[in-house]
Amino acid sequence: MTDNIIECRNLTHYYGKRLIYENLSFGVPRGRILGLLGKNGTGKTTTINILSGYLKPRSGACHIFGENIQGMAPRTRQNIGLLIEGHIQYTFMSIAQIEKFYAPFYPRWNRAAYYELMEKLHVAPGQRISRMSCGQRSQVALGLILAQNPDLLVLDDFSLGLDPGYRRLFIEYLREYAKAENKTVFLTSHIIQDMEQLIDDCIMLDYGKILLQKPVGELLDTVRQYTFTMTAAGPLPDDERFYHPSVIRDRGELFSFLPEAEVRGILDAQGVPYANLENCRVNLEDAFIGLTGKY
Amino acid sequence: MLKTICYKEWVKTRWYFLLSTLLLAAFTGYCLLNVSRIVEFKGAVHLWQVMLERDAVFIDLLAYLPVLAGLLMAVFQFIPEMQQSRLKLTLHLPYPHYRMIAAMLLYGTSMLCVTYLVSLGMIGIRFDTVVARELFARVMLTALPWYMAGLAAYFLTAWVCLEPTWKRRILDMLVGMGVLRIFFLAQAPEAYNAFLPWLALYTLLLSLLGMLSVYRFKTGEQD
Repeated sequence: MTDNIIECRNLTHYYGKRLIYENLSFGVPRGRILGLLGKNGTGKTTTINILSGYLKPRSGACHIFGENIQGMAPRTRQNIGLLIEGHIQYTFMSIAQIEKFYAPFYPRWNRAAYYELMEKLHVAPGQRISRMSCGQRSQVALGLILAQNPDLLVLDDFSLGLDPGYRRLFIEYLREYAKAENKTVFLTSHIIQDMEQLIDDCIMLDYGKILLQKPVGELLDTVRQYTFTMTAAGPLPDDERFYHPSVIRDRGELFSFLPEAEVRGILDAQGVPYANLENCRVNLEDAFIGLTGKY
Repeated sequence: MLKTICYKEWVKTRWYFLLSTLLLAAFTGYCLLNVSRIVEFKGAVHLWQVMLERDAVFIDLLAYLPVLAGLLMAVFQFIPEMQQSRLKLTLHLPYPHYRMIAAMLLYGTSMLCVTYLVSLGMIGIRFDTVVARELFARVMLTALPWYMAGLAAYFLTAWVCLEPTWKRRILDMLVGMGVLRIFFLAQAPEAYNAFLPWLALYTLLLSLLGMLSVYRFKTGEQD
């Protein structure tokens, strides 16, 4: 049996009458970095809010470290590092004050880890967080999580508002830390290129459901972008194993996990007027767009 | 942990606390200056006479200031928690949720009590030296509901600030204004004497309203 740190079963949630998702089930294995990918409105932040215990799903349950999050003991929260979307922290505090505030709550508090990261920012300990740039604030939030030294890190849209330099710094620091310390990370981000360098596994959310959950390596080894030329006006291929077939002028495109021979067979069987069928490997961002569609 | 929680609240509210204590003390001092002037120019007998014949307590100017102080204390303490849903950070700390909010409210109440005690202490010291025990008690008992109203305003504003939805927040504000009105129904000195223990209990019960808002926040109520 897989040793899952997070286990969500049959989550269903609505905002008013709008369905966000139905019967969503997934697990996050110990020691893995799992990215939740999805377009706006597919329920990424909703999932984080449910996992953090700030949202009660309409039905279903989530367990973290085997404990139902709705009745989670405060002691269990010592072991969960939470980064809120936008690197939210107590901006009315200075970097020294915030460290002094958090430390007593966490028995494994690693003060050195926090100040090691703060030294890179070249800011005085008395500097107020509200007067820092978004990038610097992200490092404060990350430093506090690293000092907390939890076994599970939950990061909501960690790249929001960060310039490429700070995004890279955040990713490199986080990945190195998570791998060296065998931490489990569950995260979301809008910037898929960042995820490719960071995550081991991904869950792709589509409107109302999970499209797939796979290791990133396996996904990129199997998914293919197929391009072809439409030789005449004709029907677009229609098969549930083809993702978002489209044609712009006479250039056709679709994504699929099928090998080329099978794709060719389906196109032929459906009478699609095509020529020059080619396939290529894609990066995570292209795979994401190909599988979830551009709209 | 109480010490640590109070540390955060102190960082948030220290400047407001110092300013509000000084301002309330300054207004109290201004009222007492009038008392001193009367005693100096017309004598203590005249002061007694006015207090007995005209029901004057000389500190009417202070009636609504504790309410304002309580309201602003809650604003300075809880608005930063609700901006960008920062309350999520507070509730994620490994400490029981409702005990955390209770600790924050306890901090605010203690700070307000210090602010109010400075003002009440000044009133007490001044009147104790120039009027009889009965008149001294009359001034203090007249002022007491105003200061209780200040604590009620603090609890009600905390309730409004912690509420996660605007629709409900506006409703809570209207209810809060109605509740505060109870403390100012009668203007006559010592009008609330018989009612004071109940008013104190009623004020204490208002502190539970903040928990209701946090419960709604935790269930994911939002605009």
